[in-house]
Amino acid sequence: MPDETVLAQASVAGSLESYLFVSALLFLLGVASILVRRSAFYILMGIELILNAANLNFVAFARFGGHGIDGQMFALFVIVLAAAEAAIALAIMVRIFHDFGSVDITRTDSLRD
Amino acid sequence: MADFMFFTFAGIAVFGGLMVAFHRNVVHSVFGLVAALFGVGGLYWTLGADFLGATQILLYVGGVTVLLLFAVMLTTSDASRVTLLRTLIMVPIVGFLALKVLEAYRGVSSIVNDTGHVVVDAPAGSGTTPEIGNLFVSPEGYLLPFEVAAVLLLVVLVGAVTVARQRDDVAAEEGRGPGGSKPTDDGAREEDAVHA
Repeated sequence: MPDETVLAQASVAGSLESYLFVSALLFLLGVASILVRRSAFYILMGIELILNAANLNFVAFARFGGHGIDGQMFALFVIVLAAAEAAIALAIMVRIFHDFGSVDITRTDSLRD
Repeated sequence: MADFMFFTFAGIAVFGGLMVAFHRNVVHSVFGLVAALFGVGGLYWTLGADFLGATQILLYVGGVTVLLLFAVMLTTSDASRVTLLRTLIMVPIVGFLALKVLEAYRGVSSIVNDTGHVVVDAPAGSGTTPEIGNLFVSPEGYLLPFEVAAVLLLVVLVGAVTVARQRDDVAAEEGRGPGGSKPTDDGAREEDAVHA
């Protein structure tokens, strides 16, 4: 066991931190994509990026945390939820485009009137 | 070799994420998302999650992306550009969030360093697929979430069709309704399904 620990710290791919760092970067890019853009597409894509960052954390912790395979199961369910969410979001976007003429989220303010 | 694969896939993922967040063209952003999802799938493989990596490629890169491209095709938008004012307002917020995330990352890292690494060996031979399959169908495992996910997918299928469908009353108001609405009702629905 000590040998494995030394080996894990020696290589970048064998350490939890490197995966967490990539995951944090993906999360931030997703948040930036949601906040900066006005189109609903980018919001959806940002959500997908954030979900992938969370999934990467699940799998990395399952691998390095010694909790067996449960993290991978959670990641699988998240993938199913993301696919369902994308399908519903597409349907809503088609309706919004039909009613408002664009998917600009700043223009969908008819509830205000 | 493991380092090389990690850096390759992590680079692909982050590059794709950058394209999603900052590219001007919608379609290019979608392909950036493809790259990001592919990179994450590769990272799953480097973590020994072979089934999950394959699922990622099949479901995300194959399915969700096609959905997104369909959405882009159906709703050509003019709102894809990064607007200057919005960017200026959001930059401090994103920066603040970045600081917070990096702080949390550092905190988690210190905890991990305290407890030390526990590297679990990937099961030899057949990979993780048999274990995942057993967990999906065993009542002590994930049988109930599995069934709930099945119901959820059915609801999503029906819900997406219902939401995206052209409603009959709206169609009649816009004068696009079918000539004889009673007998050709089914025909109109089929037409709408094709349009949707």
